[in-house]
Amino acid sequence: MAKRDTSCSEETGMTWQVRANCQHFHKPLGRKSFLCFRWGRYADNLVRSYKYSPLTFLPLTLYEQFQRAANFFFLLIVVMQCVPLIATLPWYITMLPLLTVLIMRGAKDLLTDLGRRRSDAKINRRPCDILTTQGFTAAQWKDVCVGDILRIHKDQVIPADLLLLCSTEPHSLCYVETADIDGETNLKFRQAPAITHDELTSGPIEELLLPFDGVVWCEEPNGRLYLFRGELHWRGQSHLLDIEHMLLRGTVLRNTDTVYGLVIYTGSDSKILRNCGSLKVKKTWMERFLNKVVVTIVVCLLTVALLLAVGCGLFEHWVGSKIEVLAAIRGSYSPAYRGFLNFWGYIILLSPAMPISLYITFELIHVVHCLQIGWDIKMYWEENEKPAQARTTSLNEELGQVGHLLSDKTGTLTQNRLIFRQCCIAGHIYGDITAKTKPLDLSWNRFSCGGLQFSDQRLVDRLLQRNCPETLEFFTALALCHTVMSEWKDGLPRYQAASPDEEALVCAARELGWVFLSRTRDSLTVSELGFTLHYHLLAVLDFSSKRRRMSVLVRTPDGGLKLYCKGADVIILERLRKGSPHQESTEQALEAFAQSCLRTLCVAVRCVSEAQWMEWSHALSQAAMATTHRETMLEEVYEQMEKELTMLGVTAIEDRLQEGVPETISSLRQAGVKVWVLTGDKTETAVNVGYACKLMDPDTRLLQGEELRQLLQSPTTEVSFHKDKESLVWSTDKMSQKSKAAIVVDGFELAELTKTPEMGGRFVALSNQCQSVLCCRVTPAQKAEVVELVKKNSSSVTMAIGDGANDVNMIKTAHIGVGLCGVEGGQAVQNADFALAQFSFLRRLLLVHGRWSYRRICSFLRYFLYKTTCFALVHIWYSLYNGFSAQPMYESWFIALYTVMYTSLPVQCLGIFEQDISAESSLNRPELYRVGQKQELFNPLILCGTLLYSIYTSIILFFIPVGVLQSLDLDYQTLAVTVEMSAVFSATLEIILQTRFWTKYNCAAVLFSLVVFFLSSVILHSPRLFTSFPNDYIFFGASLNAFANPVVWLTAILTTCTAVLPSFTVQALSVVLAKNNKHKIHSSKEPVELKSWFNRGVPHRRSSYAMSQGKGFGKLMTLGMGVRSTTPSLEGRVTPATSLH
Amino acid sequence: MSKPLKKISLTKLLHQNKNKWSFIKLRQFYQSLEKILKETCSYAELCTNNGHWLDYTGTEMNSSCFSCSSVKPDCVCELTFSFSQLFEGPVFFYYGLSNYYQNYRQYGVSKDANQLSGDTTYFLSPQDTCSPYQYDSSGKPIVPCGSIANSKFNDTFKLYLMVNGVKTLVPFDGKGIAWWTDYNVKYRNPATVNGSLAKAFDGTVKPPNWPKPAYELDPSDAANNGFVNQDFLVWMRRAALPNFRKLYGRITGGDYSQGLPAGNYTLQINYNYPVVNFKGTKKVIFSNVSWMGGKNEFLGLAYLVIGCLCVVMAIVMLIVYAKYKFSDDDDMQ
Repeated sequence: MAKRDTSCSEETGMTWQVRANCQHFHKPLGRKSFLCFRWGRYADNLVRSYKYSPLTFLPLTLYEQFQRAANFFFLLIVVMQCVPLIATLPWYITMLPLLTVLIMRGAKDLLTDLGRRRSDAKINRRPCDILTTQGFTAAQWKDVCVGDILRIHKDQVIPADLLLLCSTEPHSLCYVETADIDGETNLKFRQAPAITHDELTSGPIEELLLPFDGVVWCEEPNGRLYLFRGELHWRGQSHLLDIEHMLLRGTVLRNTDTVYGLVIYTGSDSKILRNCGSLKVKKTWMERFLNKVVVTIVVCLLTVALLLAVGCGLFEHWVGSKIEVLAAIRGSYSPAYRGFLNFWGYIILLSPAMPISLYITFELIHVVHCLQIGWDIKMYWEENEKPAQARTTSLNEELGQVGHLLSDKTGTLTQNRLIFRQCCIAGHIYGDITAKTKPLDLSWNRFSCGGLQFSDQRLVDRLLQRNCPETLEFFTALALCHTVMSEWKDGLPRYQAASPDEEALVCAARELGWVFLSRTRDSLTVSELGFTLHYHLLAVLDFSSKRRRMSVLVRTPDGGLKLYCKGADVIILERLRKGSPHQESTEQALEAFAQSCLRTLCVAVRCVSEAQWMEWSHALSQAAMATTHRETMLEEVYEQMEKELTMLGVTAIEDRLQEGVPETISSLRQAGVKVWVLTGDKTETAVNVGYACKLMDPDTRLLQGEELRQLLQSPTTEVSFHKDKESLVWSTDKMSQKSKAAIVVDGFELAELTKTPEMGGRFVALSNQCQSVLCCRVTPAQKAEVVELVKKNSSSVTMAIGDGANDVNMIKTAHIGVGLCGVEGGQAVQNADFALAQFSFLRRLLLVHGRWSYRRICSFLRYFLYKTTCFALVHIWYSLYNGFSAQPMYESWFIALYTVMYTSLPVQCLGIFEQDISAESSLNRPELYRVGQKQELFNPLILCGTLLYSIYTSIILFFIPVGVLQSLDLDYQTLAVTVEMSAVFSATLEIILQTRFWTKYNCAAVLFSLVVFFLSSVILHSPRLFTSFPNDYIFFGASLNAFANPVVWLTAILTTCTAVLPSFTVQALSVVLAKNNKHKIHSSKEPVELKSWFNRGVPHRRSSYAMSQGKGFGKLMTLGMGVRSTTPSLEGRVTPATSLH
Repeated sequence: MSKPLKKISLTKLLHQNKNKWSFIKLRQFYQSLEKILKETCSYAELCTNNGHWLDYTGTEMNSSCFSCSSVKPDCVCELTFSFSQLFEGPVFFYYGLSNYYQNYRQYGVSKDANQLSGDTTYFLSPQDTCSPYQYDSSGKPIVPCGSIANSKFNDTFKLYLMVNGVKTLVPFDGKGIAWWTDYNVKYRNPATVNGSLAKAFDGTVKPPNWPKPAYELDPSDAANNGFVNQDFLVWMRRAALPNFRKLYGRITGGDYSQGLPAGNYTLQINYNYPVVNFKGTKKVIFSNVSWMGGKNEFLGLAYLVIGCLCVVMAIVMLIVYAKYKFSDDDDMQ
């Protein structure tokens, strides 16, 4: 039997075997790992997001660090310096900086990893109940194994992928919230297989579960969240399993008392973790570029060293051999061998041109930038006391280069709270969205739970006076026409809705006196202003995204038949009976609501006669029995009933955006950032939010479905047509209108449209000409794919922002991931590079901190490369005069201290404090952000300029002192001190020219550098050190003599002035020329203002009924599966299910 | 209305002036450059470009030192020259070598700092860096060891003023020509043994090129011997470039405190140091010294050139700025 099973399973791909209550089968197959080797089949349920173990830390961190070209290069240099034949510099000159770099970097990595370990442990220690022979015992998540049977209580997080065996609800239904998986907050129902439900609920559950010995054959672990194939073999029969029977890890059990499940996949095998990409170390463009620069510098150094070595060989051959003194030193070495040795000597000598302390300073500046982000009081959110937090400290400058922002919707753009804000009943608009008035006095309503953000006393008066039948009918409709379930807590009804819209409406009705109390499969109990009424529920005409409406047919307590219908405005308006009153005023109200970006719903009623009902119910039952095309037949039947409607009113629900979202997005759009919204939610919701948060203007054309496909599949004409247009930036109204388009695409279409790389390229190219892109119904993995797509097809920096576990993938994939510390748990933040409390802080993060970071780091890098190369290249020129003997120009201590002490502090201050314009101006002029996107401040061209400048400086640094020396009897050490002095002066003067924003720290740093230079020169050349170590401090007395010589000073000053002359010229020119530009920017700046958003075109009405509701809930209600068949009393009778606790 | 007129006249003026100025400067500059670059002058007289100097290498047949240039120890030659007017003092006298790589790296490290600071433990075992002048062929340690010391410049000079056909010695003051720090701290003689410096050098040999050991460098002055000999100290302070000069002595004493009076001079050279085989040259230089050291034309010229460049650029900037500003004004109107 088992054998046959195996063979048949292999054919169907179902090779994953799970035996219930059979630890001795699974335990030996557990997955184990040692270093990088893994074996075994079943993973344990531990989360391991950390990288290092005590054993692997040292090798791994060294391996990672020596992947950096500079670090590796310096390791080689240090090794070479230990060879006496070629050691032109003492070994400690390079060793000390290298060690500092390695230790600091390693410590930082270790701290980050310890943080990860802590958060892992927190997850691994979450509690759950596992079935053992002693019954259910409390355990932790990390103890869960494949084949275990778990008991999950209400509001617990599911610890592993479970097969639902049974639950305490009727039909073994249960409800789960999948917010952490797909971002949807509405409830989804899952149902146990019929066989387990029947067999396991027929007696005391633990006694039945213990001998349960079913075997599940299913597919290997995979990341497909919406698919599962498997078979349950039990008692000789096999039963098919699909995703509807599964409870996935990370989902939360809601509205269900207890469920029992069989563990199928654990830990890294579970679907959500399979969906998460692996941990990647992110590198910025700048860093990659820097690595390339370093490699280039190395190649240049090698070339120069080679040339100098050849020079050395030639010198030895032609000149050196004739000079008796030099020939004697050389001894028996041939000129070629001497050249070979000097090649290495020159590599060591020129190695200071490689900016070793660049990386460490680079990191230091990053860390300070991160601290500045954390310290920014304007990014501090008082409500949850969360400051902004930079979790990765290497991405700051990319914040100033973001070209694509990919945002999650739920919880990121929206607060995920729907609020009943306005309504229009019989042509009267109630409620005001702008004014903040005091809340209504609802003390007369004993079911009021508060939370209503609606304040129009007129409506309450009208309700209490009962003099307007339409108003009463409107609220009756709200209380009846829904699929909400009620639950009693503390004597008040709490609602569990499939969509947040419905919940908002039913809650609003409750607050205003129409309280939905309970439902059974065929009745609804409602308290209307204190009078309890029973409605007989005849039919629920269910919602589907195609129908965009739902209706209920009820028999009122007085015996009449009524159909209450609510749905999208367009749908309802065309089904009204002729001459329905208030039609015009209703349409005006709809327009007004749409303008304030509210989600509108039309509510209508129809009185149905007995005869019509009889006839229709006959048709309905026939359609329900049909075997083929049942869906369409049902729809047709529904269609017959939902006509001749009478308009009752319009509701307006606000999908609360987070504070400042529209302003932020419009600012970012002005800054040239393309905003994409990726959501697991439905298209309509996403579009609605898109309008609300100014992602799209009301007159933006939506490119959708077929149109989009044609646009992409048509030969290049259309796309290139768009492209041509874009180059004539907004020159005419017509063109600007045409390019006002937004792409709306859902997950399946997206997958299809970006099947091949070139199609993906076209998609991104097209999207770059559109205002924005909305991707709906995308899975977490797809979100990451979208990010990947953008990364691959455009050169811009991508930033992903999200708040839930479903965003983790894209946060990890994007160049920069931002997590919002929202309500959906900390997963996003854990994996993000930056954590913010509010979406609106993004504006400040990008436009102020990002822009500054970019500027600072660019200035820093330019200057750093300049100062190191110009000082090291002097050796080349000196070689021409010293017989290519690799004689250092400077004292070896100067070489070590130049980068570390004499020139490091001012440039650090520049990298930390520099700002070209204030934070306020940065926010007001988002267009300045584009500089970063185009990489204008640091690119190969600028780099070449910098290097040319440093070569010029090195020439000046050497040849002016040498020229002066022609007619003086100054010795080598005096020349060295003169050139050293000039180099320090030039570097300092250059930084003074570069710094625009002077703080006291900058001044102090500049002063400090100079003072330290003179002090340490005097100290290092002091008699005390010389007498102790005569061989290391050979420059004894040099600086004292040099500093007393006026010629040295005159030379140093002249050299310095000449060396920075080009920079000075460029600065002066830019001041002279920029004055003009700035003036122009200012004058052209005025018309660009936020007001343009109110300049709307013709807004087309948008209705968003039941946006986030899945279909099928109506059926659930009428079949009574999810509903207890008894009517709970008003006092909230304790059900047997709840008494389990 | 008046603005453009003013502008034109101003720029014209500047333009004219600039032309005149730049012409004069350019001429001067060219002449000076020529002076600096031209190093050839006849052997009978003092060359006056870039200081007052005299080449005595003796590669030319007509040079009086020609006979000495092929290696001959203790060869003496004489050069004559004249000053037509008083050469103002204080006058410094230098010797100069060219094509001589004292800044060669291995040459530079070829000494033992411990030995030279008088530490006798290093007398018997000099540092390896001194190789090949560490031990002589018989295995005795060389003191002072190393290439620098071994290659010490050993020509000596005597200057005579011809007064009425009689040679009068012009004394060189060779005291205090080395750095104070070198003389007092860096280089120390070993402690004398029984009051004799020579005994401290027992068991060591002199550098092979030296005619006399270190403790007999200056027979006239006992204090000027050993490692603190002034000429030795000057030589040990390495030159920066292959063409260099080193101070030999000052002419400050007695009658010559005002400088060298006009007249004919004879320089008597004890020609010992070979340079011809590596195409080096030797020369002597007279220089009168001001508060900022020896005469230095390069520095002054460089200051002038850079200064002019700055002025020109400032004017260009001014013009550019003015132009932009005026065009801005036009825009405003």
